[in-house]
Amino acid sequence: MATNMRGLTQFIADIRGARVRDLEEKRINKEMANIRKKFKDGNLDGYQKKKYVAKVLYTYILGYKVDVGHMEAVNLISSYKYSEKQIGYLAVTLLMHENSDFLRLVVNSIRKDLDDNNEIHNCLALHAIANVGGTEMAEALCEDVHRLLISPTSQSMVKKKAALTLLRMYRKHPDVIPAAEWALRIVAIMDDRDLGVVLCVTTLVMALAQDHLEPFAVCYQKAVDRLFRLVVEHEYSATYAYYKVPSPWLQVKLLRLLQYYPPAEDPAIRSTLHQVLETIMNNSAEQSRNMQHNNAQRAVLFEAIGLAIHLDTNSPLVSTSAVLLARFISSKETNVRYLGLDTLAHLAARADSLEAIKKHQGTVINSLRDRDISVRRRALDLLYSMCDVDNSEVIVGELLRYLKVADYALREEMVLKIAILTEKYASSYRWYVDTILELISSAGDHVGDEVWYRVVQIVTNTEDLQAYAARVVFQRLKSPASHESLVKVGGYVLGEYGHLIANEEGHSPIEQLHVLHTKSQFCAAPTRALLLSTYIKWVNVFPEIKPQLINIFERYRHVLDSELQQRACEFYALASRPDEDELLQNVCEEIPPFPPRESALVGRMNKKHGATEDKRTWVHGGKEANLDREATKQGRVPTGDAPPTASPTATGDRDVMASLQGLDLSGPSNGTSATNGAAKTVTPTTPIKPSTSTHLAAGPNVDRWFEKLTYTNEGVLYEDVQIQVGVKSRYQGHIGQLAIYMGNKISAPLTSFTTKVDVDDPEALSVTFAKMPPTLIAPRSQSQQILHIECKKFFRTPPTISISFLAGAHQTISLRLPIVLTKFFEHVTLGQAEFFERWKLIGGPPREAQSVFPMHLTSQNEIDREKQRNVVLGYRLNVLADVDPNPNNIVGAGVLHMSVDGKVGCLMRLEPNREAKLCRVTVRSTSEEVAGEVQRLIQKPLSVDAAS
Amino acid sequence: MIHSVIIFNTSGVPRLTKFYTPIHQSSQTLVRKIYSLISTRSAGLCNFLDAPELEDFLGRRDEDEKLRVVYRSYATLHFVFVVDSSESELGILDLIQVFVESLDRAFENVCELDLVFHFDEVHHILAEIIQGGLVLETNLEAIDSSLQQAAQARKHSFASANPLALGVGGVGPRSSGLQTPLGWLTGKLTGVGPR
Repeated sequence: MATNMRGLTQFIADIRGARVRDLEEKRINKEMANIRKKFKDGNLDGYQKKKYVAKVLYTYILGYKVDVGHMEAVNLISSYKYSEKQIGYLAVTLLMHENSDFLRLVVNSIRKDLDDNNEIHNCLALHAIANVGGTEMAEALCEDVHRLLISPTSQSMVKKKAALTLLRMYRKHPDVIPAAEWALRIVAIMDDRDLGVVLCVTTLVMALAQDHLEPFAVCYQKAVDRLFRLVVEHEYSATYAYYKVPSPWLQVKLLRLLQYYPPAEDPAIRSTLHQVLETIMNNSAEQSRNMQHNNAQRAVLFEAIGLAIHLDTNSPLVSTSAVLLARFISSKETNVRYLGLDTLAHLAARADSLEAIKKHQGTVINSLRDRDISVRRRALDLLYSMCDVDNSEVIVGELLRYLKVADYALREEMVLKIAILTEKYASSYRWYVDTILELISSAGDHVGDEVWYRVVQIVTNTEDLQAYAARVVFQRLKSPASHESLVKVGGYVLGEYGHLIANEEGHSPIEQLHVLHTKSQFCAAPTRALLLSTYIKWVNVFPEIKPQLINIFERYRHVLDSELQQRACEFYALASRPDEDELLQNVCEEIPPFPPRESALVGRMNKKHGATEDKRTWVHGGKEANLDREATKQGRVPTGDAPPTASPTATGDRDVMASLQGLDLSGPSNGTSATNGAAKTVTPTTPIKPSTSTHLAAGPNVDRWFEKLTYTNEGVLYEDVQIQVGVKSRYQGHIGQLAIYMGNKISAPLTSFTTKVDVDDPEALSVTFAKMPPTLIAPRSQSQQILHIECKKFFRTPPTISISFLAGAHQTISLRLPIVLTKFFEHVTLGQAEFFERWKLIGGPPREAQSVFPMHLTSQNEIDREKQRNVVLGYRLNVLADVDPNPNNIVGAGVLHMSVDGKVGCLMRLEPNREAKLCRVTVRSTSEEVAGEVQRLIQKPLSVDAAS
Repeated sequence: MIHSVIIFNTSGVPRLTKFYTPIHQSSQTLVRKIYSLISTRSAGLCNFLDAPELEDFLGRRDEDEKLRVVYRSYATLHFVFVVDSSESELGILDLIQVFVESLDRAFENVCELDLVFHFDEVHHILAEIIQGGLVLETNLEAIDSSLQQAAQARKHSFASANPLALGVGGVGPRSSGLQTPLGWLTGKLTGVGPR
């Protein structure tokens, strides 16, 4: 405590007593001299060092530059006394910054404190890194900090600080954090019981997820789950209620995190999230007397509206939000008006239709005249975003009127915005020219060069406009005070198109020259140079004023500015050539239209607001602006993260077969087009592509369990000492339902339980949870999750499920789910004649897949007919009796149901040969892919090298 | 992210300055600049202020970081947070309230003098709420208990060094002669609410 040091107290009191600044400085200089001497003499004990460092700190806080005490601070850190250590760390965080050389000296002390058993020492060290740590510290200490974060023995206090410290290191030196590798482990902490820890870890996840969307994807469901528990189920410790709102900071963070991801596909997650947002919006309906409560409530509400807009701008939630926001922008509270306008701008930037917002146009325009500049700024942003073709004249008109009285700080931005809106939503060219010239005249200094460049471009490229533009510019130039930018536009436009209006009353060449040249004396050299170019063009088109022009060139030949002088000399020479000379004409040829290019204005605007991976999820401007931004962002995403979705079907082949795909085997036989199918042969087996982010669990048992489940409906999918995963399934047509039973086999709960299903090609197969999976499994109990499955198209790769949980350490298990193509088969009954008719109709390769493989025999060396029959039935093919005369052979038939690609028939013959111990399987199907896949599946459990 | 936390009184004297990103000019000029921005704003205006003027001071590294000043005034003190767009404005207002309430707890009726004479403690309290520019903890109980732990450790180290001394140290009681309390800061929030 500072007051324990009497010298310090005295020092502070002295400074407070100093009546004038001079005296204060004197006192400080005296003290600094004293301290410098003491430090130089050395031999100070810990207490004295602490005292002097504290004095240095106080001086620093007053805003004086201090250059002593760094070394002593470094020494204090390694003190074993907490009071000295604490002051030492305070000095390090205040006096040093990340590039200080002194920091090298503290790395070892910090490491020692990180490894200390005393958590308050850990905390001091973490805090120091989080404040001043740079690249070097990140490299040296990253592992230690990570350990503190994930260690099960770390206290909440330490975990919180470790999470934020890790974030700091990531910001300073991203390479030291293997983000993708640590993702699941870090996300798991979002289930911590302590909301303080959750808050800090969420902050960390937000930063990492922005750069690594895919590996952190599982945080989406965690965030939704946590919000649900906070908002709907009110599950939180009372101390985390801030004026009766459950940790508004955490809610805001979670809602923001969800905006980094595209809306979830999973209906269970969507409906849960919907419920959360609805509850938040309903909560805000009741206003309380307590200002702090309202404040916190609205902090959450505004973020929730932001998320609702992100999810779907057409949802009823957004309509509700629009109503709420409309009320906010005319609120009595300035803060609410401010945020209301801000959020409406977000809505305007995203919404398909601006109608809801346009209803309040009047209120927004009035906000331009709010007492508070902050509110005026937001109103300006909103007007910019809500402008479209219908209201552009009104809005731009208002903005122009306001520009004349606007704060200087606002003008440049306003000019840019007006210029963009005018160009983007111009209803007529005349209006465009009028508005821009008005803009240039009234806002002069705040008009960037881009603005007038753009006018010139548009006038040049629009023939109808040229005469009109020349006339208007001329009129404007006649006013006594014209801004230089206007003179530039005038010089250019009159030079090129002045001749179009030269015959009109009051626009004669000499008058044009007069108007322009009187302005030239007030202009800077570059503008005068531009005017000289105008004059040389006039020499070409207005021979009647040639003498005056030559006179001007003549005079400019003697100015000091080298650029002006050179131009004048060259133009003089050019103009003095004889009249019949064609050089002048050629030089002064009319400017060709500019190639169409994107407005530099918008580019400038975006540069101002930026579109990198900052935390903003939208930019001001219309919907297109945001779409553009998304597109550039997509392009920038490193490709390594997202697994490329392999489409297992080649579309070319599919077209050919389209006519046969729906061939229902019980229907009338189809034409012969089946015979001229594509020549591509089907690869009989496709290696299962492992998901990029996780490694599948392997081992003979895992394979055996999986294999068995591909042709049975229930059984064990995985088991180890901690967990057992069982499966029960039901299928009907293209729809299926799979229940997964997760059994906790140990006597402690499995916490942070996370399950996630990855489907290789979501276009072909959809697998969704019926409801949000639980996050905890009690000791020795079982939890059930239902999956809804729909087969849309042909698929080969079974989906994978990743299960991760904390049981002491963090564990992750990835398993293939036994969902294979044949699950969507339905039996078909055919007689012998029908069977062979269809068999022949389909024909041989490529719509036939055949293989011969060594067969598994029973212990009596007999064909295992029972098993073969069961396998075929298990793959949901109907075993047809009396088709094949050989009783050993099995004949099967089935129809595959797919919701998008319809039905595909499939016929199968299995011919075992006991003597050769070989077996032949032949599958014919109207889809060659289906044939290959079915053949591969059936062969597997029957062949001799099958695991059983 | 929170870029800086500054407390100054109504005459512009800084009472706490904490920068989470290095600043490019002297902190005195920065404080003066912010003071001039804020002191001219009457009560009743909103608590947020776009601050393009401050970008030179704080050295914008990113083109797109738009800084905003969020401030709240209590009795004679202005609490000013400079934040970027990743923070919720209202959330920061709430955070200032949490900060003030924690000060109030630690000093039992905090007043400006506490911030002067116990500047180190104020920094320790802030360190429990914000770390490296990010919100660390918002729960008053948790903040308080971490502070208590640190105070205990300090007391302990003090006692072990001076076995004869009576228990001094710890948070709370002001030394005599310095007491000119300004009352509950938390009750003195100025310039908010509907008008």
